[in-house]
Amino acid sequence: MKKVSSIVSAIALALGMTVALTPTANAACAGKLKIAYQGPLTGPEAALGLNELRGVQFAVKKSGLDIEVKEIDDQGDPAVAGPIAPSVPQDECVVALVGPAYSGASRVSLPVYLSAGLPIITPSATNPTLFDFGGKIFHRAVLTDDYQGPALARLITSKVKNAKVFLINDASDYSVGLAKLVDFTLGSRIAGKETTPQGTTDFTSTIAKIKKSKANVVAYTGYFSQAAVLVKQLRDSGSKAVFAAGDGVLDAQFVKLARKSAEGALLTAPAVPLDAASPKLAAEFKKTMGVEAGVYTTESYDAANFFIAAIKKGNKDRASILNYIKKNSHKGLSKTLKFDDKGEVAGVDVNGFVIKGGKIVLTGPIK
Amino acid sequence: MDFELLFSEFPSLTFDGIALGAIYALISLGYTLVYGVLRLINFAHSEVFMIGTFAALLASSDIMGINIEDEPISGAKLILTIIVCLVVAMLTSGIVAVLVELVAYRRLRNRGASKLATLISAIGVSITLVEAFRIMTDSLPREFPRFFEKSFIADIFGAQIRNDKLLVIFAAGVMMFVLDQFISKTRIGKGIRAVSQDEQTSVLMGININKVVTVTFLMGGLMAGAAAFFYVLVYENTSFRVGFFLGISAFTAAVLGGIGNIRGALVGGFALGLLEVYGSVLLGTAWKHVIAFTILVLVLLLKPTGLLGESIQQARV
Repeated sequence: MKKVSSIVSAIALALGMTVALTPTANAACAGKLKIAYQGPLTGPEAALGLNELRGVQFAVKKSGLDIEVKEIDDQGDPAVAGPIAPSVPQDECVVALVGPAYSGASRVSLPVYLSAGLPIITPSATNPTLFDFGGKIFHRAVLTDDYQGPALARLITSKVKNAKVFLINDASDYSVGLAKLVDFTLGSRIAGKETTPQGTTDFTSTIAKIKKSKANVVAYTGYFSQAAVLVKQLRDSGSKAVFAAGDGVLDAQFVKLARKSAEGALLTAPAVPLDAASPKLAAEFKKTMGVEAGVYTTESYDAANFFIAAIKKGNKDRASILNYIKKNSHKGLSKTLKFDDKGEVAGVDVNGFVIKGGKIVLTGPIK
Repeated sequence: MDFELLFSEFPSLTFDGIALGAIYALISLGYTLVYGVLRLINFAHSEVFMIGTFAALLASSDIMGINIEDEPISGAKLILTIIVCLVVAMLTSGIVAVLVELVAYRRLRNRGASKLATLISAIGVSITLVEAFRIMTDSLPREFPRFFEKSFIADIFGAQIRNDKLLVIFAAGVMMFVLDQFISKTRIGKGIRAVSQDEQTSVLMGININKVVTVTFLMGGLMAGAAAFFYVLVYENTSFRVGFFLGISAFTAAVLGGIGNIRGALVGGFALGLLEVYGSVLLGTAWKHVIAFTILVLVLLLKPTGLLGESIQQARV
């Protein structure tokens, strides 16, 4: 019993210290205002984080304001995000945060930002439960996974007659979750299922199963680099089944890696690629940033611009910026950001895309 | 348990398993050679492989001038391209392996550092190389051009034989034969075997241990470079983390066959390739590592030295 109480008091002490150490929302910032970006900037998931970071940097550059972008690298890993989150609001000049990119990292970071009153807009964390962790400071610029899975299923059935679907996930949280919703929506149209963990390079056995199942659609819920390897091997084996996938595959890199094999692939995303939203801006992005925009660059750009709009209106601290984004809306490239009382965007659809002539072509919202 | 599929597709699956196993076997040679001589698990070996894939990529684009969009080539140019890319990948990996030894292991070895310190150094080199390539490639995978049209050229006992995989199996076989001859017939090969039997005695007999170690790393690197080229030829992509998964598989293959034993690495490589393909058909791809490692544990329980025993010297001709 004594042990338990000492643990309890240690936790209480730790909590007390966090509260005591975190500055109040109205603490003054002496120098330059900062917008932070949090996501994976090193490690295996870094490609996505860098897409988003560049979206934020691009927005700040274009704004002409003297704002610094503070990079917070959580590697997309809750175990890394936990220890660094408390240091983020300690810098009083950090008045807003775009991110965290991943749901797991968000869960551990959001309570800290809530106690510091730091407003956040995540461009890509799609787990439906995040409001419970972030409360009033939490906002999300995309739809949750609850919408994308059924949308992917509807896209398949609307584009392929008598669809028989072979469903593959890559064993990640995102992929398993999305696959479950696709599975649930398609029901008896599922001809077979398979899990190919991230890092699988040889799909021989999976393709043998696809052929045996006589499926005419292969739905993959993982990420683009592995999708490219899979679709290539699928085509090399002579299969003509339609390839369909979610937002993890929606990346110019997918087309670049899979080339001809990517042709005709159906994709969904609550996100809009920059070159689909505005080819002109995409070209400018490439010129300024030196690389092409990727998936969720547009959403990060929109999120950063919402904060920039708030700052331009003279809001220079966390509380007033939070208040601004709660009360106002922002017409972004991907959608109009207007948050409901749980920080979610309302009235937007999941978009469908098809790969045609080596380009990702937006086919419009999935009904 | 899908036995029906396994039996109906058995010949084709076996062929694909052998092609995959050939790549594993070539990489696992590097682990086994180094272990045989230094009793060290060279964790940086997977990165030697990874660098080989990028070298093959650069050779095809910068030396042979092949673009990603180009149509497949044929005839003399195809043969020349394959040879140039293979040689560049092998040399690059070979040199990197030697440099890794010079930078990360030699000094520690000369100062009599513990095996543990060398192991940590190996992990450090591995992380350094992976992160350096991650930064250089913007964390993005890279595509490899298609050299020739992939087609099924024959049907042997119901096995569909694809041209690129057949080439890999054949070429890997040649490499393994040459390496085997090198180790068993040449003077320096004998030196490698002598050091692996008894380091101190071989030094007393006048063997230059540093030279032996350098040649050992070079050989391992050359084989990893060849594996790297074959890998990109078949799978047509690479990334900074490609070495991680293949490295684990190849290391498993080395242990399965008996680490330190060259022929063991070959047997282990092919066995693992087949096991992974059969296992993933039977229970699903998610289970393939479970199956492979369960069999590894069982083999080690019954025969702790692996399938063919542990030392290079036992691989007699």
